[in-house]
Amino acid sequence: MLELHNVSKRFSGIPAVDDVSFCARPGEVTGYLGPNGSGKSTTMKMITGLIEKSAGHIFFEGKPIEGNLIAYKRRMGYVPEEPYLYTHLSGTEYLTMVAQLRDLPAKQSSERIDGMLRLFSLHGDRHASISGYSKGMRQKVLLIAALMHNPQLILLDEPFSGLDVASSLVLRSLIQELARRGKVVLFSSHELDTVERICNRVVILHHGKLVADDSIERLRSLMELPTLEQIFSQLAVEQDTDSMARQIANLIHA
Amino acid sequence: MPELMEKLIARLPLDFRVLYSQFLMRVIDLETLSIQADVVGFLGQFAGVLFMLSLLHSLVTYIGYLTFSVPAERLAWGWHMEHYLIATMMLVIGTFTVVSWDATFPDRRDVMILSPLPVAPRTILLAKISASAAVMGLAILTLNAASGLILPALLGAQPGPAWGFFQSFPAWWFTLIAASAFLYFSILTIQGFTALLLPRRIFLRLSAFLQLAAFGLFLGVYFVQPSLTDPVSMADPASQWILASSPSYWFFALFNRLNGSLPAQFAWIATRAWIGLGVAVLGAASSLLLCYLHTMKKTVEEPDLVPGAGGFHWTPSFGNSLQTAIALFSIRSLARSRQHRVAFAFYLAFVFGLAFSLLRGELATPAPAPVSMDFLISTFLMMFFAVAGLRTVFSLPISLTANWVLRTTQLRPSENYVAATRRSLLVLAVVPVWLMALGLSLRFRPIQHVAIHLAILALLGWLLVEICLIGFYKVPFTCSYLPGKANIQLIFWGFVIVMIAFVIPCAEFELSALGVPFKVVFMLCFLGAAVWALWILNGYRAESAVIYFEEIPDQVITTLGLTT
Repeated sequence: MLELHNVSKRFSGIPAVDDVSFCARPGEVTGYLGPNGSGKSTTMKMITGLIEKSAGHIFFEGKPIEGNLIAYKRRMGYVPEEPYLYTHLSGTEYLTMVAQLRDLPAKQSSERIDGMLRLFSLHGDRHASISGYSKGMRQKVLLIAALMHNPQLILLDEPFSGLDVASSLVLRSLIQELARRGKVVLFSSHELDTVERICNRVVILHHGKLVADDSIERLRSLMELPTLEQIFSQLAVEQDTDSMARQIANLIHA
Repeated sequence: MPELMEKLIARLPLDFRVLYSQFLMRVIDLETLSIQADVVGFLGQFAGVLFMLSLLHSLVTYIGYLTFSVPAERLAWGWHMEHYLIATMMLVIGTFTVVSWDATFPDRRDVMILSPLPVAPRTILLAKISASAAVMGLAILTLNAASGLILPALLGAQPGPAWGFFQSFPAWWFTLIAASAFLYFSILTIQGFTALLLPRRIFLRLSAFLQLAAFGLFLGVYFVQPSLTDPVSMADPASQWILASSPSYWFFALFNRLNGSLPAQFAWIATRAWIGLGVAVLGAASSLLLCYLHTMKKTVEEPDLVPGAGGFHWTPSFGNSLQTAIALFSIRSLARSRQHRVAFAFYLAFVFGLAFSLLRGELATPAPAPVSMDFLISTFLMMFFAVAGLRTVFSLPISLTANWVLRTTQLRPSENYVAATRRSLLVLAVVPVWLMALGLSLRFRPIQHVAIHLAILALLGWLLVEICLIGFYKVPFTCSYLPGKANIQLIFWGFVIVMIAFVIPCAEFELSALGVPFKVVFMLCFLGAAVWALWILNGYRAESAVIYFEEIPDQVITTLGLTT
């Protein structure tokens, strides 16, 4: 289980994440939602150890992650928000490098990389430079890199970004399948339909603060709203979206 | 005057001014030279080094003028200096064209950003050319600021010094500008027509090799071509092919033709300069025109995804999985990143050119030569600059945003990363230089002395690697660097100091020791002990070190000074 207790992050004194606590359990897909700039990716980076938290504690399977960061990283797979890769490498070269850095046995990693490249329809372009890959192809490389070592904790920050419909459907099923196999999946997305379909529970962040942490069913009944989109709008959207659209149109016509 | 300039500049179209200032920032590939967004700083350093060279040239010219009083000797000295200064000018401009490779032609980014905007292609073209011309003008001016006055004044042709100056001064500056323009336009012609004739993906691959080949050619010609600057050696039939094919001699002859001091029998060499300049200007103009009419469209239409090379994909092992991952990452980064490749070539090319020029005599003779100071100095220099250059290039990041993967997969202690970096330095710098020295050593005897030197060179290479690893807790090509780190003056004077204070005494000592077994054993033991001690020290310090991906600025100590 992944647990965050009163986690905060301040940049130059300004809070990006403020006193956030929640749990992500094995066998469940936990959705992590919030508008742009609400602190989702910052939280993800704190969980991966990429940035240090200003306050609070993060536990994985009951132990603080700083206690043995190396052992923790061995069990974690992470897909970042943006598909930043070493674009001078080919898909195979990049994935092989990640496998070597993770010290996976060469034969096993080679088989897994080859198999996953086929399943993600990247096999034909595996020797092409990543600089030529589309955003969706890069996203697939990130997914393979995050999953090939069979991690127990899977952190997905906007994993559907750039994927085509077929790949999105595969990924949607894959996330649910991984959760069924006992993995801890923390999944951040703006696609509320997808979140509603695959997540068991959601955590909603607004201005760095936690505003909801419950199962979708329970949130629906508590707030008496039929969809996650309406729940999200009520909790985390401040503006009148129609009025804002009119203002923008007026401005460019002025 | 500045107000007038400002008024004139203000009358230029706004889109031209905006593009010119943008392109000026990009003429010199800043990443290549590890100065981030500090164009003024870089150009200042660049101009400073060139101006120092100019002062040095003036001094040497003046001393030579005073030393040689016999007219024939003075003429030979004058011709030698003229050719040397023209060749040096061409080398500087050649280096500039290599560093600013592709700067004049719009790349894919330019096309994608500027094409949707209402900017005429001719404005882009003019802004690009103006930016390149501005930097090239600065180079010409600073490199000749002093020598461009002294040389025409001292070596002006007859009749009389005053009249000679007024004839030779414009002739000299015209020659310098013409020689620079010839080189710059020739490179543009080659680039432009290659881009036009080849499919873009092949052009991009070939362009990288052309860039290095051009750099090698400029340096090779500069260091290796013989000095033919007196009428007797120029008239030698064996020299005719050099005079016919070397542009520095064409422009040397052109200056003397304009100056009225060229014997009629060499007029054909000056004619070559005119023909070469004409061909280069026409070639560059037509290739630029065609590029802006045709290649810009081709750039937009090129496919995004280029298939990789099919067939055999060999992944060699360089030790454990971490060492292999980092060594392969280093090799691929160096091979595929233009900026890093050029930066490394920048270090290698000068010192390799110098080394080969030192060995020119020994390599030209058919019989093996005895192990000499030249052989020892050149191999030491190659090893020193290969290791130091690679260490510097390792500090330039290839993609900071992609470093997250190294941080989230950092599963082994820091000393393993230091060991992997050591392996990369050995594989990429020490082993290739040592193999090159082995190849050169076939021309030297006795075998025992050669073998001892190769053993010393290997130990020296390893020692340099260990020195480079002190405090270097980074994965190659991943760590950010602070602005203004590349100090050209430091590199320049560092080279001079290393050459004089380290390499020459070491080579002298080794040469004297080669025949004395005790001294040989002492040298090998000393170097071996130094390598071992530093290896232990680096390993020990790495145990408590943290691999870092961002350079942290030095703490600035500030005091208000309020207490008395």
